[in-house]
Amino acid sequence: MGSDIVEIGINGIKLVLIFLMMVQAVPILVWVERRGSAFIQNRLGPNRVGPLGLLQLLADAVKFLTKEEFVPAKGVPFLYYMAPIFALVPGAVAFSAIPMATPLLIDRFELFGQMWGPYTILFQGYEIGVGVVFVLGISSLATYSILMAGWGSGNKYSLLGALRASAQIISYELALGLSIVGVLLLNGSFNFGEIIAAQQGPLAFTFIGHTVTVPFLPNWGVFYQPIGALLFLTACFAESNRLPFDLAEGEAELVAGFHVEYGGFKMLLFFIGEYGHMIVGSSMFIALFLGGYHFPFPGITPEVLRYYATELGYGPQGVSIFTALILFLSFFVKLALLLWFFIWVRWTLPRFRYDQLMDLGWKTMLPWALANTIITAIVIQISKI
Amino acid sequence: MTTDAFLFWFLALVTFISALGVVVFANPIFSALSLVMTMVTVAALFATLNAFFLAGVQLIVYAGAVMVLFVMVLMLFDLHKEKKAFTQGAFSGSVKLLLGGLLAGLIVGAVSMSKELYKAISDQAVTNSATGIESTKALGQLLFTQYIFSFEVLGILLLVIAIGVVALARSKGGTHVK
Amino acid sequence: MPLGGVIFLFIFISAFGALLLFIANRIGNRIKSVSDVKSAPYECGIPGIDKKDTKISVKFYLTAILFILFDIEIIFMYPWALTFKDFISNSMGWYSLLCMGFFLLVFIFGLVWEVKSKALEWE
Repeated sequence: MGSDIVEIGINGIKLVLIFLMMVQAVPILVWVERRGSAFIQNRLGPNRVGPLGLLQLLADAVKFLTKEEFVPAKGVPFLYYMAPIFALVPGAVAFSAIPMATPLLIDRFELFGQMWGPYTILFQGYEIGVGVVFVLGISSLATYSILMAGWGSGNKYSLLGALRASAQIISYELALGLSIVGVLLLNGSFNFGEIIAAQQGPLAFTFIGHTVTVPFLPNWGVFYQPIGALLFLTACFAESNRLPFDLAEGEAELVAGFHVEYGGFKMLLFFIGEYGHMIVGSSMFIALFLGGYHFPFPGITPEVLRYYATELGYGPQGVSIFTALILFLSFFVKLALLLWFFIWVRWTLPRFRYDQLMDLGWKTMLPWALANTIITAIVIQISKI
Repeated sequence: MTTDAFLFWFLALVTFISALGVVVFANPIFSALSLVMTMVTVAALFATLNAFFLAGVQLIVYAGAVMVLFVMVLMLFDLHKEKKAFTQGAFSGSVKLLLGGLLAGLIVGAVSMSKELYKAISDQAVTNSATGIESTKALGQLLFTQYIFSFEVLGILLLVIAIGVVALARSKGGTHVK
Repeated sequence: MPLGGVIFLFIFISAFGALLLFIANRIGNRIKSVSDVKSAPYECGIPGIDKKDTKISVKFYLTAILFILFDIEIIFMYPWALTFKDFISNSMGWYSLLCMGFFLLVFIFGLVWEVKSKALEWE
């Protein structure tokens, strides 16, 4: 994590901040979801507590805190309490591996009568060489929270919901894992940093020695892998149990699925977990297909930003902070738009039937992802990029 | 003690405790869940050896796929009679003692026999990049040149397993007699 | 060493979640004794029946096993994807493609067989 105590401290605080950022995003997302769904359905939504209903979140938190606490009669207390706690873990741990901007350079500074630094602080929790595999592996642990909740509640509905949810998640994990093989083929790397760096500048197709440059479009993965991007995004919806794939909850048949016996703060932790999956899926989609933290205008590269910051008269530390903050803004806007897309789809599409869901995963998305992989490999071999 | 050594001993302790939990817990669900924990910490131990790709594969395949199957299946069955049979009685007790002795013997034997092997390996300078990309690339190179035959055979083996599973599940009998 | 960060985050989040639940437990309404009706498993108004032998479709089991098999095959495509460009630069691209092509052929055969044998049909 670092070479000396201060660097370890900075990195630890950074990890905590990233986690708190995720937790903080949840009340805002819940508000956006409730207001947005209300406007989509021609209602008003929560608008009484505070301006625009923004303080509704605070009222909800107080309500959650004061709820009664008890374990259902047939439940297993240890698993019943472990499930919501463990729901938080995979989302935040996976999200920390995704870079959100260029690194910060910290000059030498004095603290406790000693000189420290210089440091290079990454704008991500930790850099992992095999980042893509790491994120997939950590996200696959999310099933256990659902299974523990389903079995620990001691209720037939929650067990059925948990089984459905885990069968759905593992089915779509195949399509998710296969849809990114095309990206890996194009980049020859598992590292998010390298994949993002390759998506800089204007779009330039190379085919059998000829290069076609499109100066007004960015060099994003989505233009090389449109089918892969579509499959990846669809699988993300299924992985985070969102409509149209929320068969695990299915109010009409299973009441609320695996969290039927949960209430109060435990329910809130499950909510944070679900939104955490949305955030991880969206940011991985951004990193692989939407150019990461690069601007959609190919003219604005990190080098250009650094040049402007130097012109404004900043030193090396100021330049790196200026550039990182502006690039983080780009990442943040993309993330916000994608999260809005998740919410938008939820209130637009109806729910699938379970056999349709499984057919889509196994018989449609898996063959398409396979075909995408084979065609990508052949095109790369022919054009010798 | 360096950070790496601390990490190793910490992970080894957690791995040991969770592996012990697999054997000691009477409830099969708890056993399976502590096996999940063991798999995750073994993946972390792989990462301390700079085998990052292997650690990811361990997470995806063992912790994310195989153990999901185990936990799911254990939750499907109501194992009350079996639980009783395996937690009480002289027979299961003697079987446990026997298996425990066998395991202890295996561990002692493995450690004493692998001493020379360990020395031989530690003499070679193992250089690995911290990012793990080079070692993964070397793995891919080896897999597709030297071990290509075993790789293709593995594909056929997986196909055979898939066909066998479906054939077993389709056979009429048990709860699915019509 | 990124592993230290990962382990730190694992432990920190677990502790954070446990702390939140503990606080909620302290602040929340304390009930002295939970009645049987209140703590009974959720049911839609009728008294719950405890069926000991809940039968669940074998399809879930089948899906999980097939998932493991296909997941292993997909994992093996990752090192291939990583090294494909290196193979091309050594002008062994077609060889690498052929190796993977045979593997994928077996994969596709397995998938087609599953679909044809109706192992993936949910009714």
